[in-house]
Amino acid sequence: MAATSGCVSRLRTVMGRERPDPVTVTIKTVPADDDPYALLIARQLSEWLRAAGINANVLPMASEELLRQVLVNHEYDLFVGRYPDSTLDADSLYSLLHSQFATEPGWQNPFGYANLSVDDLLARQRTTDGDERRQAVADLQSTVARENPFTVLAFPDVIRAARDDRYSRFGTTRSDEALGMLQLHRADDGADALRVTTTDERVTSTLNPLLASVGRVGTVTDLIYDPLVRRYRGERYPWLAESTTWVEDGVLEATLRPDLSFHDGEALTADDVVFSYRFLRDTASGERNQAAPTMRFRGRSTLAESVTAPDRRTVRLTFGEETDSVAERALTVPILPRHVWTERTGEPRVGGLDLGGGTTEALVTANVPPVGSGPLAFVSATRNDRLVLKRFADHFLETADTPALPDAVADGAAFEELVMKHVGSDSSAVDLVDSGDADLTLAGLGPGVLRRIGQADELDLLVDRSQSFYFLGFNTRRAPYANPRFRQLIAQLVDRRHLVQSVFSTFAAPAISPLARTDWVTDDLTWRGRDPITPFIGAAGEVDDAQARAAFREAGYQYDEQGRLLGV
Amino acid sequence: MGLLAVVVEVVTAVSLLLVTTAAAVVGPERLRRLRWTLRGRVRGALGPIVALAVVLAINAVVRDVGLELSWLVGVNVTAAIYAVEGEFVAWFQSLGTPAVTTVLGYVYVYGYAFLVTFPLVAYLALEDQRYLRATATAYVVNYGVGLVCYVLFIAYGPRNYMPDMVQSLLYDALPRFQLLTSEINTNTNVFPSLHTSLSATVALLAVRTRDIYPRWLPVASVLAVLVALATMYLGIHWATDVVAGLVLATGAVAVASRVHSI
Repeated sequence: MAATSGCVSRLRTVMGRERPDPVTVTIKTVPADDDPYALLIARQLSEWLRAAGINANVLPMASEELLRQVLVNHEYDLFVGRYPDSTLDADSLYSLLHSQFATEPGWQNPFGYANLSVDDLLARQRTTDGDERRQAVADLQSTVARENPFTVLAFPDVIRAARDDRYSRFGTTRSDEALGMLQLHRADDGADALRVTTTDERVTSTLNPLLASVGRVGTVTDLIYDPLVRRYRGERYPWLAESTTWVEDGVLEATLRPDLSFHDGEALTADDVVFSYRFLRDTASGERNQAAPTMRFRGRSTLAESVTAPDRRTVRLTFGEETDSVAERALTVPILPRHVWTERTGEPRVGGLDLGGGTTEALVTANVPPVGSGPLAFVSATRNDRLVLKRFADHFLETADTPALPDAVADGAAFEELVMKHVGSDSSAVDLVDSGDADLTLAGLGPGVLRRIGQADELDLLVDRSQSFYFLGFNTRRAPYANPRFRQLIAQLVDRRHLVQSVFSTFAAPAISPLARTDWVTDDLTWRGRDPITPFIGAAGEVDDAQARAAFREAGYQYDEQGRLLGV
Repeated sequence: MGLLAVVVEVVTAVSLLLVTTAAAVVGPERLRRLRWTLRGRVRGALGPIVALAVVLAINAVVRDVGLELSWLVGVNVTAAIYAVEGEFVAWFQSLGTPAVTTVLGYVYVYGYAFLVTFPLVAYLALEDQRYLRATATAYVVNYGVGLVCYVLFIAYGPRNYMPDMVQSLLYDALPRFQLLTSEINTNTNVFPSLHTSLSATVALLAVRTRDIYPRWLPVASVLAVLVALATMYLGIHWATDVVAGLVLATGAVAVASRVHSI
C-alpha cells in the first residue's frame, strides 16, 4: 500500500510537469492586394524566424478582419502593419504605449504593453518643457528600443502615379495627407471631377472617423470632418476656431468662426464642440458602468479635463499639469454634429439582437452618409465601387478671406467633385490613370508597377517620404512575447537594411525610433547602417543559425532534438 | 476601357467560338432540327436549368454576404495550403514565357467561358435530354459546394501570398480582364478552384458523350487541362485548389450521372 502511494506521488510529480511545446508564431498581416510591402515583410520575417528554429507562418487577412483580430480582440502573436497617423509627435507615443490603454480596443496600446517607467516618462514629457522634456523623450525612445513592444522597421517612400492634363501640382501633395487634395490646380476648365483610385475597399463602405484602420494613412474622413485646429506639415493652424487663447494657467478658450455649419445645414456651435470632446472619451455618454472610448484619438481626447461652452461661439478647455504645447494637441480631434451622434450612444443591435460587448452604435456604425463640416461633403457611396464627395460651398475656405491658413489650401478645392474609385490591385490603378479614366492613384503603389509608370509617357511618377512607419507589433499579453528578452531576440532576427533592398526596392529608409522623422530622434537611435541596440544576428539578409540559437539559449530558452525552439 | 466594353468583347469572342464549334461538333443537321424542337427541349430540361439559374442568382446575391459570413465562421487556410505545397506555383510560373502568358490569359477568360457554355448548346441539340439535365445538375453541385467551401475556408491565392515570387500575370499582361474578374471573383475565394472544377466537369461529361460528339472530347479535354494550368500559372490558384477542384468535378459528375442515369 505504502509502495503504491509512493509510486502515485512520483507519477504525479512527473506528470504534473508540463512539457514545453515548440514555439509557433503566426504573423498576421494584410494580403498583397491591400499592401504588398506588409505581406513581403511578414514573409521575410517568417523565414528569418525559421532560421532560428521558430515555427513561423504568415496569415494574410482582409484589413477589416486584421483590425478586428488585432486591435479589437487582441488575438495575435505578431503583426506587421503601418502606423496610421502621419502627424507623429513625441506625445503620440502616449496613446501607443501607456498602460492605461492596454485593455482598450483600438490603436491605443494595441500591444498590451505595461511598463511603469515608460508610463512615468510618458507622463513627464507631457508636463515638462525644454531640455527636461527632450531628456524624457530621449529616455523614452531608448527604453522602448530596448524593451521592444514593437519593432520599427522602415519609413516608406510612397510611390504614386498621376497625369496632369486635367489637374496639376500633384508633386506638392503628400500620400499620407488627405488635405493635399485641396492644393491641386485645375488645368482643364471642363474637368469638374478629380478622379482618384484606391485599393482600400473600406473607403466605399465605412466613413466613421472614430474607427481605427490598419494600413490606411491620410484618411478621407479628414476632409469630411474639421477639427478646431488643423495640423498641417508640422504646424498648427486655426481651423474651426478662428483663435485660441490661454486665458489662465491650464485654461484655454477657443473662439469659433462666425456662421459655421454642417453639411446638412445645421449650425455648428460650441455645443457641438463640447459634445464631441465628451463623446470621444466615452461614446456611451456615461449612460453605462463601462465607458466605450473611441479607437483613435485617445491620447488627445484624454488631455482635456473638462470642456464647457460659455456661449455659442466660445469653448473653454481645462487641462491638468500638461504643458501648453502638449495640451494644444487636444484641439486637433474632429468635431462631430451633436444632432447626429447623440443617437448613437446605445448598444449596437444586429437584426434586433443586442450583442452588447461594451461597445456602442457609434463604434460600429458605417456612418454613411457622413455629416461633417469639412471642405468636402458626401454625395454617394457604392460599395466596392466608388465614393463621391463634393466641394462644400459654405465652408470657410470657400467663403471667407482667411489669412491665417496655409497658403496652398486657403482657397479650398479646385474641383467640384472628388471621385474615389475602388480598384482590385495596383496594376489596374495604374491602368486607369494611364488610360485617362483617373487622375491619380491615391494610395501608395507596390514596386511591381514602377516600370510601367516609367514607360508610360502620360504618367508622372510621384515619390514622397512618408511620415508613417512599418512595424512589427508583439502581443505582449502572451507568452513568450511578454518576455522583453524574447522580443529583443526577435528584433535581432530582423535585417532592416535587407528589408529595404529586397522588399521596398530601396524605396524606404530603415529606422529604429518611431520618431525618426521628427526632430525628437536622438543621435544614438538614428539609423547609421546598423541597429546599435538589437543588432542583426547574421549578415546580408542571412541569419546566422548557430549564433541565433546560442543567443536564445543564453536567454534561457531551449531547443528540442529536431532543433525547434521550445516555449517556457 | 470600361467594364461594358470588356463584357462586349468577351461575349462576342465566346459567341463566335460557340457558333463555329457548334457547326463542327454538333453538325448542321442537328442544329436545323433544333430550330423546330427548341421550345419543347428547353421545357424538358426546365427543372435543372431553373435550379442552375437559382444557384447562379443566389451566388450573385450571397457573394457579398458570404464573404462577411466567411470572416465570421470560416477558417483561414492560406498558411496551411502554403505549408503543404510551398512554392510550387512560383516554380510553375517561372517556366513561362510572354507568349504562354498571353495564351493562358485568353484561355482563362475566353476559353473557360466557352468551355462551360458549349455543353448547354450541344446537349440541347440532342433528342436525348438526359445529358443537358446532367450538365445542369453537375453545375449546380459545383456551384453549391463551391459556395459552401468559400464560406467555410478563407484562402488568398499565391499572387496575394508571395507577390515576390508569383506575379499577377493576368493583371499585368491583360489588365483589362481585371475589371471582369474583380466583378466575379473575390480574392479570398480560391479554395477550391471553380474554374478547374467546372472545366473538368465538362471534360468528364464529354467522355460520356464521346460516341455522340466524337470531336468535342479532344477539344474539351485539352481546354480543361489548359484552364486548370492557367489558374495556377496566372498566380490565381494554388495547386491544392486545383486538386480540390478535380475532386469536386468527379463528385459532381458522379451525382449527376446517378440522378439522370447516364
